[in-house]
Amino acid sequence: MSGATVEHADAFGHAYEPWLFQTMIDELSTGELGISFVYSVLELLAERHGLKDAVVVITDGAMGPQAFRLGRETVDAEQLAKLGSIPGVYCDPDIVPFGERDAVHTACRLSLSLHYARYSAAHDPLTNIANRRYFDTALHTAAVQSSRYGWHFTLVLADLNGFKAVNDSSGHAVGDDLLRTFGFALRQSVRRGDTAARIGGDEFAVILSNAESNEVSGFTDRLSSRLAMSGKSVAFTIGTASSPRDSSNPDELLRIADARLYEKKARDHA
Amino acid sequence: MPPTEEDFELELRSLPGVLNVGMGHRENGDVDSVTLIVHGQDPGSIQGVALQIASLYFPDAVVTVEDADLDTADRIGENGRVALVRAAFEGPENACEVQLNFEGAIGTGRSSSGPLIGGVEATLAALRDLGFDVPYHLIGAVNVATERGWPVMVTLRSNLHDVDRIGIAQSDGDLASAAKATLDALNRYLTLPRNFRPRGS
Repeated sequence: MSGATVEHADAFGHAYEPWLFQTMIDELSTGELGISFVYSVLELLAERHGLKDAVVVITDGAMGPQAFRLGRETVDAEQLAKLGSIPGVYCDPDIVPFGERDAVHTACRLSLSLHYARYSAAHDPLTNIANRRYFDTALHTAAVQSSRYGWHFTLVLADLNGFKAVNDSSGHAVGDDLLRTFGFALRQSVRRGDTAARIGGDEFAVILSNAESNEVSGFTDRLSSRLAMSGKSVAFTIGTASSPRDSSNPDELLRIADARLYEKKARDHA
Repeated sequence: MPPTEEDFELELRSLPGVLNVGMGHRENGDVDSVTLIVHGQDPGSIQGVALQIASLYFPDAVVTVEDADLDTADRIGENGRVALVRAAFEGPENACEVQLNFEGAIGTGRSSSGPLIGGVEATLAALRDLGFDVPYHLIGAVNVATERGWPVMVTLRSNLHDVDRIGIAQSDGDLASAAKATLDALNRYLTLPRNFRPRGS
């Protein structure tokens, strides 16, 4: 990129501002564009022009209007009422040229969109835990590490009991609420480094890192306790498979855990 | 997928009606306070969900939710009229930019003819950007009564009929005065843009 020619924007042009372009390149070399970049750009803008304050309002189709203020400060209600949902960059004092404000606004909007897209690609929108796509990758990675280094992990599949009946009798809104409750309890129950995912309608999966199957009870106790605290009646059944003891093949682990889950369900119904 | 402060903020911003998230930090970098500004949602229910989310990332953080009173912003349209939101002039390029609000929609117009004539041209361009049919052009010069800082008078002539519209306004500077004078001349004669959809529809 060092050989690229970057021209200044004219008064109303949309060309990249060189400083902004360089900041984006720097950010991309160390990570990914996201919300932090928005704040970094506001800091740099304020520094360049000696601003007391700066706010960028971004209208993103997926999230609705979003205001970001210099220093991660809250935009007070009066200021927000003045700005409303008008996209743009607002500076105090108002001395930043249009072209530069346009470029900053475009870069911030791009960063927020990228962050949202990245987050959405890996998360289930209803429960905010990992989605099937992310889970498959995480399970594959864990299986490879288990096979190569002998690292232990346990796969837990969980299925809500009687979920279909709840959905059919009480409606999808009540069913969704149960899924959200269960997803949230899962997030509260896993340890840092574990992965919780929703992999189907009412099917959830957890990768418990560095855990054998006899250590699953600690996790299920935490989960039951969190569900009890939610005040909602959510019963579930689990099936587990451990690596490398049961297998180090992700598909095989899923099959084993699934078979154990349905064995348990059948026993409970008998 | 380790949880990050960025994802925390994104999750909060994804809640319905959240317009802004402000955060305070401890010396060790942990978030210790979160303020959400919301509109059109019950702050109490948003606070409940936000507290749950915060408990996953920063369990000790204090979460407050404030309701943004956007009624003021809604009133910018002055009972259905087009209103000036912003007028900015950039000296070296002799360039100006005008932003107008009509029922929550924003139109932007630009010109490089200086604050007076450019103010009129940019306002006409912003009206067109909003979707209005504006068959008018500026005739003669923009008149500043007596001296700078006094009211600005604008005369616009219809392209369709031999009719002139005159507007007069005094505001903060020549550009804002010229923009407001243009709106004064035309506001009563504007017809609703085709395909116009009121805010919230």
